[in-house]
Amino acid sequence: MSLRPEQILKLLANEAFHYRKVLVIAFFAINLAMLGLGLIWPKGFTSTTTILVEDKKIIQPLMQGAAVATEVTDRSRLAREVILGRKVMNQVLEDAGWMKTNPTPTEQEKIIERITKRTTITVVGKDIIKIEYKDDDAQRAFTTTKKFADLFISESLGAKIDESKAAFDFIDKQTQEYHDKLLRAEEQLKEFRSANLDARPGTDADISSRLNTLQTKIEQSSQDLKEAEVKKFSLEKQLSGEAEVATTLSREGQFRSRIAELQSRLETLRLSYHDNYPDVIQVKHQIVDLNQAITEERQRRDAAKVSGKVIIDEGVINNPMYQQLKQELSQTRVNIEMLAARIGEAKRQLQQELERGRRVHGGEATLAELTRDYQVNRDIYQDLLRRRENARVSMNLDKERQGLSIKIQEPATLPLSPSGLRFLHFVIGGLVLGVLLPLAILYAIHQVDPRLRIGSLISEKHKIPLLAVVPHLSAPAETQAVRRELAWLSLMVNGTILVVLVTAALRVAKVF
Amino acid sequence: MSKIEKALNKARTTGSLRIVSPQPQPVSREKVSDDASTASHVTALIEQRASSSEAIARMEEKAPLSKQALSHNRVIYPELGDNATVRAFREIRTKIIQKAQGRNCVIMVTSVSSGGGSSFVSLNLGVAFAFDAGKTSLLVDCNLKNPSLHRLFGQGSFRGLTDYMENSEMDIADIIHPVGIERLRVIPSGGKREIPAEYFTSLKMKQLLENIRQRYRERYVLIDAPPMTESADTQILAELCDFVVLVVPYGRVTDAQINTCIKAIDDKKLVGVVFNDEPALPDFRWLDMLKNPFAAIREVISRPVNHRNKKVK
Repeated sequence: MSLRPEQILKLLANEAFHYRKVLVIAFFAINLAMLGLGLIWPKGFTSTTTILVEDKKIIQPLMQGAAVATEVTDRSRLAREVILGRKVMNQVLEDAGWMKTNPTPTEQEKIIERITKRTTITVVGKDIIKIEYKDDDAQRAFTTTKKFADLFISESLGAKIDESKAAFDFIDKQTQEYHDKLLRAEEQLKEFRSANLDARPGTDADISSRLNTLQTKIEQSSQDLKEAEVKKFSLEKQLSGEAEVATTLSREGQFRSRIAELQSRLETLRLSYHDNYPDVIQVKHQIVDLNQAITEERQRRDAAKVSGKVIIDEGVINNPMYQQLKQELSQTRVNIEMLAARIGEAKRQLQQELERGRRVHGGEATLAELTRDYQVNRDIYQDLLRRRENARVSMNLDKERQGLSIKIQEPATLPLSPSGLRFLHFVIGGLVLGVLLPLAILYAIHQVDPRLRIGSLISEKHKIPLLAVVPHLSAPAETQAVRRELAWLSLMVNGTILVVLVTAALRVAKVF
Repeated sequence: MSKIEKALNKARTTGSLRIVSPQPQPVSREKVSDDASTASHVTALIEQRASSSEAIARMEEKAPLSKQALSHNRVIYPELGDNATVRAFREIRTKIIQKAQGRNCVIMVTSVSSGGGSSFVSLNLGVAFAFDAGKTSLLVDCNLKNPSLHRLFGQGSFRGLTDYMENSEMDIADIIHPVGIERLRVIPSGGKREIPAEYFTSLKMKQLLENIRQRYRERYVLIDAPPMTESADTQILAELCDFVVLVVPYGRVTDAQINTCIKAIDDKKLVGVVFNDEPALPDFRWLDMLKNPFAAIREVISRPVNHRNKKVK
């Protein structure tokens, strides 16, 4: 059911008249309540100070990248932490006169809680922190606010210096540590290098090529050796078939060829002559002699063999073939010896190379590790060095108070008039609320009450004509009663206003 | 309207009233506007009405009630002038006459809920009809369980509807009583009865209504019926009537209740709704009291006038 404004006004007027007593009593009660509330409402003096936190100064662009300005990000939270911290609070308690009554620690705790409740810290704009403190004593409000601002500034500057100092110390310590590490790594690398001269890049390939060469050499030598041995064998075999010297063979041969010659002569002679033919006999004798000489020769030779004496015989001549073979054999033998020795040497070298290869391999891994360590340490160390210099500049910046500057923008003042809800507000509020609140409640009640109070709605809703709206016709006695009642109510309203005004006047005159 | 009535009343009391048949000026306006078809017809009608008016003027009247007594009983009277309540009743009356198209009729006044003011509306509507010297009205108190019209008679018991219904020898004239308001007659409820439905359904009731209606051509019969939501008799009564007026009291009934009542009444008979008892805001005298506390104090300490003493016997 949506009503037109004039319908609402009419409804409210009708109902207000109907519930006039309740409304007037509510007006009276609300005014009295507000008056009482106004009288007991604590007076509050608010002192305000603003602090300008500036960090965009000339120094910053100049030091861009070199120094890190300590950032104050969440300023209001930071300010709250600092100001409402125990350190500042204790100082404030001391200076603002809270400790005059020598409160116990529990009471102090309560006082701090109260102060915390009445302190408002807000960040106005970007760089301004506003501190507000409310107290029922103007002087104390002023002192406390002033203290808050002063202590906040000194605390935050101190905190900033501490922070940058701590940062520098930390980085410095780290730098020192890495310096030591780097030195150690260098030392280790040096030691390793001197202990393992081979250990350098490329040694591996070198060794492998060398191994190959040696291998080839051994194979070649083995081949040669085998060949030489075969040669030797064949030479020996040949040599065994040759007489050492041709001597013996020639004397006997001479004899035998003489004998054979003589024999053939004999044969020839026999063909022509008898055995007693002198020539035959002679030849016969000659043959016997020669046989004799052979035997003798043999004996002599055997004897010489046994005694070992070389009997030089003019008839002895060296066998040239033998000599040559002998020479060749000897040569081959020497060759074999030489080849065997070479193979042996090559094998030894091979072994040595393998050993070295193995050793170099392990060394290389160690070297890589050491080098890596060294490089990492060196990089970090160099980075830290740079950072340490940055930190040093930052620290100096803070020490010189060139970074973030905090100063009091608007100093706290001694509040002269109380702030917040004042007695006057309660008086006016009571008068206004006394009228509006009951009417609002009345309206709310009629919003939910389904009973009909506006005649024109009948014809709108039920489509039947509204003949007339008959106003209440009061009997004279009733009119009289209403009049008397209205008189009473008007007196009550006037009385209420009078009480309110008198109280207000007395309050202004500071009677209470 | 009121001026004409006042003039008429004054003329009659001073004895200087002379009704001249061809001249239509004192006759009610609405009649003329409704039936102005032919001159002869109008003349005949006016003659008829004049004779009716004469008969009405000859009606026997009781000593008139004083204004104080009327006020005490919350009854309107012409001297109230431009009072909003009087205006409202005149408006209702006009609308009913328009609806009836000049014929007299039986109008039932009922309320949505008890205490809705059907007696107040029917009484004052009757008075409003009777304002016109050419019309008379008859109030029948059919609210047998909770009658109220008898209080107009003051002390003593008068025979009423129930007595007539129970006594077959009784004449209608015996139960129609003047009450001290000109041209207004009342049939009180009579003795209290618990089962009115039997009377209302009887033929005698129908005949009674027909009789009293036809006795005067300009008589408007008003029936004060029990509230719709509380009694089934009302619907029976509605059958006997020509028109129904529904009284909706201010701030006491819901839309749903109104809807139920409207549905229960024949659309053709329902003339409309009267929104009754809207709070009448006082004039600005009380603001004077607010501005001038002494006036308020005077008001408070003055002795209240006892209107009861001024009540007419």
